[in-house]
Amino acid sequence: MHAFEISHPATDRRHPRWRAWLLLAPMLVWLVAFVVVPTAILFVYSFCERDEMGRVIFSFTLENYQRVFDPIYLRVFIRSIAYAGVVTAICVVVGFPVAYCIARAREEWRQKLLLLVMVPFWTSFLIRTYAWITILKQEGLLNDLIKLLPFSVAPFDLLYTPTAVIIGLVYTYLPFMILPIFGSAEKLDIAMIEAAHDLGAGPLRVFSSVVIPLTMPGIAAGVLLVFVPAIGMFAITDLMGGARVPMIGNVIQNQFLQARDWPFGAALGMVFMGMFALTYWILLRMRRSEAIT
Amino acid sequence: MLPLASRPFLPSGLKLLNWCLRSWTALVFIFLYAPIAVLVVYAFNASRLNIVWTGFTLRWFNDLLGQTALIRAAQNSLIIATLTTALSVILGTLGAWLLHRYRFRGARSIQTLLTVPMVIPEILMGISLLVFFAAVGMSLGFSTVIIGHVTFCFPFVLVAVQARLQGLDPSLEEAALDLGATPLRAFWLVIVPSLRPAIAAGALMAFTLSLDELIVTFFTTSAASATLPIRVYGMAKVGLNPMLNALSAIFIIATVAFVIFTNYLRKLRH
Amino acid sequence: MKSSVTQLTALAALLCATSVFAKEELNLFGWSEYVPEAVLTGFTKETGIAVNFETFASNEELLAKLVAGGGNYDLVQPSDYAAELMIRQKMLAPLDAGQLPNLKNLAPDFTHRPHDPANKFTVPYMGGTVGIVVNTETVKTPIHGYADVFQAKFKDRIVVLNDNREIVSWALNTLKLPVNEINAAALAKARPVVAEWIGLIKLYDSDSPKTALLNGDVDIGIVWSGEAALLWNENKKFQYVLPAEGAHQFLDVLAIPADAKHKAAAHKFIDYILRPEVSKLISEKFPYTNPNAATRKLLSADELANPASYPAAGKLESFRDIGKAAGDIDRLMTDLKSSR
Repeated sequence: MHAFEISHPATDRRHPRWRAWLLLAPMLVWLVAFVVVPTAILFVYSFCERDEMGRVIFSFTLENYQRVFDPIYLRVFIRSIAYAGVVTAICVVVGFPVAYCIARAREEWRQKLLLLVMVPFWTSFLIRTYAWITILKQEGLLNDLIKLLPFSVAPFDLLYTPTAVIIGLVYTYLPFMILPIFGSAEKLDIAMIEAAHDLGAGPLRVFSSVVIPLTMPGIAAGVLLVFVPAIGMFAITDLMGGARVPMIGNVIQNQFLQARDWPFGAALGMVFMGMFALTYWILLRMRRSEAIT
Repeated sequence: MLPLASRPFLPSGLKLLNWCLRSWTALVFIFLYAPIAVLVVYAFNASRLNIVWTGFTLRWFNDLLGQTALIRAAQNSLIIATLTTALSVILGTLGAWLLHRYRFRGARSIQTLLTVPMVIPEILMGISLLVFFAAVGMSLGFSTVIIGHVTFCFPFVLVAVQARLQGLDPSLEEAALDLGATPLRAFWLVIVPSLRPAIAAGALMAFTLSLDELIVTFFTTSAASATLPIRVYGMAKVGLNPMLNALSAIFIIATVAFVIFTNYLRKLRH
Repeated sequence: MKSSVTQLTALAALLCATSVFAKEELNLFGWSEYVPEAVLTGFTKETGIAVNFETFASNEELLAKLVAGGGNYDLVQPSDYAAELMIRQKMLAPLDAGQLPNLKNLAPDFTHRPHDPANKFTVPYMGGTVGIVVNTETVKTPIHGYADVFQAKFKDRIVVLNDNREIVSWALNTLKLPVNEINAAALAKARPVVAEWIGLIKLYDSDSPKTALLNGDVDIGIVWSGEAALLWNENKKFQYVLPAEGAHQFLDVLAIPADAKHKAAAHKFIDYILRPEVSKLISEKFPYTNPNAATRKLLSADELANPASYPAAGKLESFRDIGKAAGDIDRLMTDLKSSR
């Protein structure tokens, strides 16, 4: 089963002519001007020294990169990746059924349901998070609901714990899993499902052998759009986790703010982004060679 | 090809599965709207500090009317988000199509480069963009903010559209070309309509990301283009004013009302 | 769809244009909400000068944006240690006392702080302290200092500021070491103290520590005096105590950047703020310590009685800029926090 794409016949791909390059140009220019150049600036910064204000002094040093590989920061990296991984996995399990349902809803309802998934996130982030705090706090709504239960359950002390952070993160990233899966699953070929069923497959088998493979591109997209931003995320950890445990996002931000060490922050960022980009590029290579064989 | 839902006799296994999926979806929607319900209810809370419910009042909605700075910030946010979404959709859709359609050297590198704005910590993006703008002498304001927003929003559109392209029937374009359409017309008249759900998904994501963006905006904005998150962020110090709840409540209610209204119009037309 | 995009672009262009066509204007970069809108509109009404108020939420953000090359500001609002750094880096313009007749309103104990002893570059805006706030309904034992706060019985009932330098300075205070001398030896001594404290703290919050206290999730907090003052206004059970081992006193100031374009307007604004009735508006919204002696006479008895706004005397110390040592503090705290 191909993890990432359905292969096309080789004749399909053409080499781009000048018109295609013209259309590609805006995006390329944008990428160069606003992604490559700023990243290059950071790259230069990472080899510089700093003054007392934290600004860069253009004198070459490798000290920043040496400091990056300190076990302190390694711990923080790994923790951020672990949180992002857990959140992504939960989002896939929780979000896939929702995307599937919306994709198979009646035509006029589809766009509306999609909109309704996103609308909660058009409120201010701080207000939304404080609303969660109101729900999860010790004298909060969740514990009030618990009291109404017929059997006695100990009140939850969720706030400022990793559980609260995971809840907050899943809440924030769920739409970014649901939407891409919907986008790719929307015109699922019903004939395939019917065919599988006619061949005697039970509902679960239909799901695992037909639906999931066909929606794989969407799931892969969702995983990308959740995991990647989640590794750098720290605002939720600070608000719902009480800033008890630093994430890599916190550490990098601190270097530019309180710790006043821009070059080191740039170095941390370079290593962080570099490791990710390298892993992604290697995965792309593997996928390409898989498709060819 | 009948949609599965309207087949007359559904086997019970599949029916059960459908029922489970729908209930799950309902639960997820409850999860998504739980804090929103709390937020809206507290917009009517008499207490200023928004911690305990003390009584019903409409005064926050009233106070909101006089808050010119806050309203202007909200307007800025909407304008910036809309323009960002438009640009992101164009860049993202074109980019996804071209990367999918053509094979050329450097495609993998471009694909990797696209993930950089998603993975880069916001402070790094904000500061590097500011240094860049200062170096080229570009003054801060709406354009710099929008540039920042589009840069990290359009990859989301691109990835969503790419996912759909990968499942798209390649014979679609071939058929259009065989009928005499230029590649451009084939793209516009045949491919784009079939990409619509993915474009819609990408546009929604871009809009949402832009509305809530704080750090990159902080470094690339001027006073005139300040967005709502920037104004809101420091307000926590004095206690988040319930006026913000009122503002959010208005937003939610307006959007949900719009959805219901258009649904009603459609029903009338039939 | 297409026409609405053009409409919106036109609107955006118009908004940009109108800010260019404004006559005399003042570009103020300050703390969110620290300058009430009433003050800004009052100033504009009287002088005709439009105020473009841009906000930040921490001193470090202010410094980072200025250093990266952002914005032409005419007036900024740093805290004392940030101002000290900016003075040393020659980023501020000297003030013209002749344009500031209302300077005489300031109380003397605010005008000769170590960051700017001669008040050449800065004017005090609001002052404050960092101290202990106690929920006296749930905490019956007397709390006088950091040692009393960080006891095992208060485990997971404490909120502190999410400020690494603050936390380390409290540890140095309990060890009777000077808070402005940050070196390897001092940090090594502070390390076990802070490590022990971290095990007792429930959460860190610099933006709104009052939330956790009001919610009842914690009973004791080490917070800004303004937060404590808001808590006291909400419920008198929240008592404020200046730690006996030593407390951080800070001063937020107004200053004019060296490359400001509207220095005269900036001076006018500073003088406007120093008027007693204007300063009163600020105190009403933001109950920090008002350095304006003339305003103190206008404040209500309730406002003056607030123990957080106007605390009894205590051992107070200002933060000095520590330069590169800030990085060492950050490393220590990251290590301790992430090894839990």
